[in-house]
Amino acid sequence: MSGIRKPAKKNKKYEEIEIAEKEWKQNVLDKRVSRFNLLKSPTRFYSPLAVKNSNFLGKVGFPGQYPFTAGTNPFDFWRAYAEDAAKMGYRPEWGGAGGVGKYGGFGTAEDYRDYLIRMHSMGRSGGPNMAFDLVTQCGYDSDSPYAEGEVGRVGVAIDSFRDFTTIYEPYTGDLEIDRVPSNFTINAPAAIIIAMYAVLAEKRGIPLEKLRGTPQNDILKEFIARGTYIYPPKQSLRLFRDICVFCTRHMPKLNINSIGGYHIREAGATREQDLAFSMANAAAYIQAGIAGGLDVDSFAPKQTFNAFGGSMEIYQEIALQRAARRIYARMLKERFQAKNPRSMMIRQPITAHIGCSSTTLQRPLNNLTRAVVGGMAAGMSGGMPGVFPPYDEPLGLGHSQEAVQLQLDATRILIYEAKVADVNDPWAGSYFMESLTDEIESGTMAEMEKIEKMGGAVAAIENGYMQKAVSKSAYAKQNQIERQEEFVVGVNCFTNENEISVNVNRQVEATYDLELLKSAEERQKQKLEKLKRQRNSKTVLSSLSALKDHAKDESANLMIDICECVRNDVTLQEMCDVMREVFGEFQQTKL
Amino acid sequence: MSQGKKIRVLVAKPGLDGHERGAHVVAYGLRDAGFEVIYTGLRQTTKQIVNTAIQEDVDVVGLSILSGAHLSLTRKVIDGLKTQGAEDIMVIVGGIVPEGDIPLLKDMGVKEVFTAGTPVSAISDFIGAAVSSI
Repeated sequence: MSGIRKPAKKNKKYEEIEIAEKEWKQNVLDKRVSRFNLLKSPTRFYSPLAVKNSNFLGKVGFPGQYPFTAGTNPFDFWRAYAEDAAKMGYRPEWGGAGGVGKYGGFGTAEDYRDYLIRMHSMGRSGGPNMAFDLVTQCGYDSDSPYAEGEVGRVGVAIDSFRDFTTIYEPYTGDLEIDRVPSNFTINAPAAIIIAMYAVLAEKRGIPLEKLRGTPQNDILKEFIARGTYIYPPKQSLRLFRDICVFCTRHMPKLNINSIGGYHIREAGATREQDLAFSMANAAAYIQAGIAGGLDVDSFAPKQTFNAFGGSMEIYQEIALQRAARRIYARMLKERFQAKNPRSMMIRQPITAHIGCSSTTLQRPLNNLTRAVVGGMAAGMSGGMPGVFPPYDEPLGLGHSQEAVQLQLDATRILIYEAKVADVNDPWAGSYFMESLTDEIESGTMAEMEKIEKMGGAVAAIENGYMQKAVSKSAYAKQNQIERQEEFVVGVNCFTNENEISVNVNRQVEATYDLELLKSAEERQKQKLEKLKRQRNSKTVLSSLSALKDHAKDESANLMIDICECVRNDVTLQEMCDVMREVFGEFQQTKL
Repeated sequence: MSQGKKIRVLVAKPGLDGHERGAHVVAYGLRDAGFEVIYTGLRQTTKQIVNTAIQEDVDVVGLSILSGAHLSLTRKVIDGLKTQGAEDIMVIVGGIVPEGDIPLLKDMGVKEVFTAGTPVSAISDFIGAAVSSI
C-alpha cells in the first residue's frame, strides 16, 4: 500500500474519501444500477471531493460581506419587520420594493392619476410605480400612426411634461416627491422621463438631490429581449452615459438603472446566457459611467438589478443567485477597481423565482404549486420567499382576487410556518451547492469572456450574437419538450383522459375601466392638439435645435437639452425624432 | 402539399409588442418542418403585414400577439387581405388569447388559434393538412 500513496499530508482526508467513494461505487451503487438494468445511476451524490480545498472566506464569506455569495445583506428590510407585519396584518406584495406602490398604469395621465387617488384612499399610498404604454416606450406620441390601438393599453400614455405633471397631482404633502420614491419602467426614452422628474422637482422648488426612485433604464437588454429599443446600441449607451453623469451629479439618491437578466431568460436564454449577458450589460454601463468621467464608487452603488433567472430547477436557481452575487462583486472589485463594498453588491428586489414562462395554461391551478417551489428558492437564496406569479397568470385575463390571495398566503406560509427565511444562505457549505455554484460561475465566465473578445455587450448586440443565442436556446428548449427530453406536467406528459382539471372560483377585479381604455387614444390626441396650439413654438424649435446640435457632439451631455425641451412642452416623440435623425434607428438582425 | 411547391408561411408580429420568443420558435420549427418561412420582425403595422403577405405570395399568415389586442389587429389583417383580393391566404393566430375570444377569432375567418403549450409540430401538421386540402 505505502508504495502508491502520495506524500502530501494535507490531502490525506481526500485520499481516504476517494478510496471510500470507489468502494461505495463498486459495492453499493453499481450493484443497485445493475439490479434495475440501468446504464447509469439516475441520481448523483456529492462528497467533499466535489469542492476540494474550497476557501470559505474567499468564495462564500459572511452575509453582507465580500464576495456576497451568502447574501447582499445580513438580513433584508422586510425581514426586520416580518413579525410586526404579521401582528399588524400588513399586506406585503411580492418583491417588497421598499414602499413603492403596485406596478401599474393605464389610459391617459388623468385616468392613471384618478386610479392612484383611488389606491391612496384604500391605504396603498406608496410612490407611483409606472408602467408606460408601448407607444411611449417606443418613443412615439399618441397621434403617431404607430400608436393606433396601443394608447394607454399596457401602461399610461405620456406625450409631454403636462401628462407627467398630471400624474403627480396627488403627490403633495406627506406624499411629496422628496418623501416617496417613484419607479419608472422605461428604457429607450428613460432620459426624457428622468428629465421630466427633475423638471417637476424644479417647478415645485424641491432640491433635486432629495429625489428618490428607480428608472429601469436598461436599454441593452431591450435589444436582446422585449424589443422596445429606438436608437442603435452605441448611441443608446451614450444616452445612458449622459443619464448616469447627470444623476450622479444632481440626483445622487436616485438609482441609475435596474438591470434585468430575467427578461433575457424569459425570452429563452439558458441560465449561463441570462447571467453572462446581464453581467456584460452591467459592465458596459459601468464602463460608460467611467468614460463619462465618474469615479466608479460615485455611481456603482446606484446601479441596481431587478432579477435574474426564472425556472423550476430549484437547486440551479439558488446556485445562480449565489454565483451572480460573487461574479458581480469580483467584477467590480477586480476589473473596475471599486473600493466601496456598496459598489460590489447586487441590489435587487427579487432573488430566485420560477419565471412566468414556467406557468402553464393547462391545468392552471398547478401553477400555485410551481410558484411555491419558486418561493422556496427565493427564500433560500437571500430574498423574501415570494410566491409568484398568481396561478392564473397564463390565462391572460388579469389576476383574480382568489389567485392573488393564494399567492400572498403561500408566501406567508413559507415565511411564518415553514420559516424558510430564518437562515441566511442555508445551502452554504453544501458540497453539492458549492460545486453547482462554481459550475454556473465558470460557465458564465466563459460566456462573458466570449462577449469580451467580441468587444463587449454593444458589439455582441450589433453583430446579433446575443439575440441569436437567445432564440436558438428558446428553440432548443421547445424541441426538448416536444421530444419529451424535458417534462412539463399536464403539457407533454400526464395528459390522458384519467387526469382532471381542477377549477376554483375566479373573480377578476376590474382594475381599469374598459370604457376609459377605449377612449384613451382620442383623449390623448385632443390634449396633444391643444398643447401644440398653446405652447410657444419659438422656444420649442430653439430647444429642439439645441438638442439636435448637441446630439451630434459626442462629448455633450444631452440631459441639459432634454430638460430644456421638457420645460418648453416639447413632446416625447419630437425629442425622440430629433435623436432618431442624428442617431439613426436600430435594425434588428434577421433570424 | 400542392405540386411539390414548398408551403410559404409569413410569421408576423403586429403592433409594438416586442415579446418574440413564440414567433422565433414557431419560425424555426416551421422551417425545420420543411416550410418556406418569412419572419417580419417587430413593429409591423397590419397594412405592412398584408402587403408583405401578398408580395411574398404566402399561403399562410401566422400572427403572434401577446398584447391583448388580438381581436382588433386580426380583424384588420383579415379585412386588408380581403380588400386586396387575397382572402385565399389562410390566417392563423398564436399567443395569449383568452378561451372566450377563440370563437370570435374563428368567426372572423381565422382558421385556428394556437395558445401557450402548443407543440410546434401541431402547428406544422395543421398547416400541412389545411393547405394541401385547398
